[in-house]
Amino acid sequence: MTVGNSSGKETSGAPGDFIIDPRDRILITGANGFIGTQVVRILAEYGFTNLVCLARPSGQSTALEEVIRKSGVAGIEIHRGNLLSREDCRAITEGVSVVYHLAAGRGVKSYPDAFLNSVVSTRNLVEACAEKKTIRRLVSVSSFTVYSNLELKSGAVLDETCAVDEQPELRGEAYCYAKVKQDEQVMELCRRRGIPYVIVRPGVVFGPGNRGLTQRVGIGTFGVFLHLGGSNRIPFTYVDNCAEAIVLAGLRKGVDGEIFNVVDDDLPTSREFLRLYKRHVRNFRSIPIPRPLSYSLCWLWERYSGWSEGQLPPVFNRRRWASDWKGNRYSNEKLKRLLGWKPRVPFAEGSRHYFDHERGT
Amino acid sequence: MPELRIGIVGCGRIADEHAAQIQRISGCTIVGVCDREELMAQQLADRFKVKGCYADFDEFLKKAQPHVVHITTPPQSHYELGKQALDAGCHVFMEKPFTVTADETVDLIRRAEQGNLKITVDHDEQFSHAALRLRQLIRGGYLGGPPVHMESYYCYDFGNQQYARALLGDRSHWVRRLPGQLLQNNISHGLARVAEYLQGESPAVTAHGFTSDFLKEMGETEIIDELRVILDDRRGCTAYFTFSSQMRPTLRHFRVYGPHNALIMDHDQQTLIRVKGSRFKSYLEKFIPPWNYARQYGSNSILNMKSFLRNDFHMKSGMKSLIEAFYRSIVEDKPVPIPYREILLTARMMDDIFAQLGRSFENTG
Repeated sequence: MTVGNSSGKETSGAPGDFIIDPRDRILITGANGFIGTQVVRILAEYGFTNLVCLARPSGQSTALEEVIRKSGVAGIEIHRGNLLSREDCRAITEGVSVVYHLAAGRGVKSYPDAFLNSVVSTRNLVEACAEKKTIRRLVSVSSFTVYSNLELKSGAVLDETCAVDEQPELRGEAYCYAKVKQDEQVMELCRRRGIPYVIVRPGVVFGPGNRGLTQRVGIGTFGVFLHLGGSNRIPFTYVDNCAEAIVLAGLRKGVDGEIFNVVDDDLPTSREFLRLYKRHVRNFRSIPIPRPLSYSLCWLWERYSGWSEGQLPPVFNRRRWASDWKGNRYSNEKLKRLLGWKPRVPFAEGSRHYFDHERGT
Repeated sequence: MPELRIGIVGCGRIADEHAAQIQRISGCTIVGVCDREELMAQQLADRFKVKGCYADFDEFLKKAQPHVVHITTPPQSHYELGKQALDAGCHVFMEKPFTVTADETVDLIRRAEQGNLKITVDHDEQFSHAALRLRQLIRGGYLGGPPVHMESYYCYDFGNQQYARALLGDRSHWVRRLPGQLLQNNISHGLARVAEYLQGESPAVTAHGFTSDFLKEMGETEIIDELRVILDDRRGCTAYFTFSSQMRPTLRHFRVYGPHNALIMDHDQQTLIRVKGSRFKSYLEKFIPPWNYARQYGSNSILNMKSFLRNDFHMKSGMKSLIEAFYRSIVEDKPVPIPYREILLTARMMDDIFAQLGRSFENTG
C-alpha cells in the first residue's frame, strides 16, 4: 500500500502498520549527513512531528536546516552532541521511541578512528537506550561492505543470508572492519539489553551530495582511471530510496531482529554507468581491466604487502576484490516483502539528479 | 637478544603504528594492550593478535608484566603513566610530546635513572634514512666544525582532515587542553632536530605566534597555528624554527650550516643534499653547482628506490629504527638512542615558547 505526500512522490508508508504514532519521539543520529537529511525529510513527509536530529558539534547543518524549514514541521530539533559522550547519549535518548542510528566513522583510513566513531559510539547509544524504558526499536545503518563474497561464486545472488566477513581486518579497509564490529555490537548488546533492533545494509548510495565514482566501478589511485567493474551490476540505491527503506525499517511492525539489504530495482552495469558518467559529467580516459587481471593484481599486491611487512599497505587484496569487483547479483526481495518498500525514484531519474549535481560541483 | 615483553597503553591511532613496527622487530612480543575504553583495547588486541587486553593500567602492569611500556595516550597522561610504569620496573617508550611540562620531563628522567631503567621519546623522524645519513655526515665532520646556524621547518596541513575538523569543532578536545594546544602536539619533532645540535643547556628563546586567517575564517581564535622561533644557545650557534599550517609546500626540512659546509634534509622526500661552502670562479658558480645538485637529487632518488627494493623503506622506518635501537640499549645496557639532554632541552624550549605565546596572547587579549 502506498500513500501520497507533499512532494508529490509516492511513498511506501502505510501508517496503520507502524509501531509508533506520529507524535512519538524519534532520534536520528548522523542527521546532517548525506542519508540522514533525507531520513529526516521522509519522516516529516510521513507525518512524524517529534524528531531529534543529532549533529556533530563541528558539522555544518545547512542542508538539514533547509530540509527542516521546507518540511514546515515545528517539532524538529537539532541537537549538537557527540555519541562518544555518555552524557550526550543519555540526553538525546530521553523519551525516544525509535532511534535511527546513521552516524558512523565513514571515509576514515585509521582503524582506531573508524572503530571509535562506529563501535564505541554505538555501544554508548545502545547503553543509553537500555536505561530508558521508552525505546521501541533501534535501526542501525550498516553497509554492504560487511559481506564476504569470498566463497560466493561470481554471478551468484548476494542477499541477507550471505556470510559476513569473519576477518574484516584483512580487507584493508577501516570502514569495513568498523561496520562488521558495529553490527556485532548491535546484535549482541541489543539482545542482552532487550532492545528491539533492525539492521539496514545499503549498497552504494548515490545522489546529489555524494561526490565521485564508487570504487566498485573503478579507481583513479594511480593517475589513470582503472575500470574494474566491467559488466558487474553495481548495487546502487538512490539516496531517497535508501532513506525510505531506513525509515520503514524503524516503523513497520513485526521486523525486529531482521537485517535488510537496500538496493534499487534497475541496476546498471559498471560499464553502462561509467559511459553515462562520462557523457553527462566529464569525459576522461579509463582503462578497462579484465576480471582475471584485476584478481591477479590484487593477489600479487596482497602477497607483496605480506612479504614486505606492509611496505605497501594491504589495500588491494582478494577479499576486497571479491567484495568490490567479483560481480554478483543483488536482491531487494526481503525489503519489499517485509517492509512494503519500493523505490520511489527510478535509476534514470536518480542518475540525472546525481549527474546534474556532479556537473555543478 | 632475549625475548622482550612489550606492552602498549593507549589504543588510538598512533598505537597502530607502534604495534606494526614492534611486530617487525625480532626478539620481542607484545604481551598486552591497555586502554581505559575496553573496546579500544579489544580492537587493537584483535587486529594484532595480542593475548592480553586490559582496561586498568595497574592490572595490565601486574598481569602482563611487560619489560617495556609504550605510552601512546594523550600527552596529559604521559607523566602519571610514565611514573607508574617506571615504579613497576618497566622501561618506557613515550609517544611525543614527552610530557606536558619540562618539570615533568626532569622528574621522569630522574626516576628512570634512579631505577636503572631506560626511557625515550618517539622522535622517530630523527631516525629516518635521511636523518641517519645526516647524523653520520655531521659526526664525520662534514660541516667543518660545530653548527653555526640551523633552520627547522615543520609544517602541518589542516586540509580537510578529520582531525582538524574534530579539533576545531570540539571545545573539549584533549589537544585544546594542552598548554601549547595544537603546537604542543606537533612541534617537538622539529625542535628536537635543533636540540640535537645546540651546544648550551638553556638557549635563549624568542617566539612569535598567531592564529592564521584560515582558522580565523572558521571562527577559531584560540588555537595558534603559525609559529616562528629564534633560538640562541649563547655559544655561537643559533636556529630558526618555523611551524606553519598555511605555507606551501608543507615542508619538513632541516638545514644545518657549519663553518665550511651545509646540509639540507627533506624528511618527506627523504633527500639529503650536501652544500659546499667553497665557490667556483666567476660564471662557473652558476654552471657547476646546479649540475651538482641535480646529480645529488638523482642519487637520492636511486638510493630511495634501492631501499624500497630491499624492503627497507616503510613509511615509519624511522620508528622501527628508533624502537629497535631503544630495545638494544636495554638488552645490551648501552646508552639510549636519544640522549636525555636532548629530551630535556626540547621540553625546556617548548615551555619557553608556550610561556611567551601565553603572555603575548594575554597582552593582546
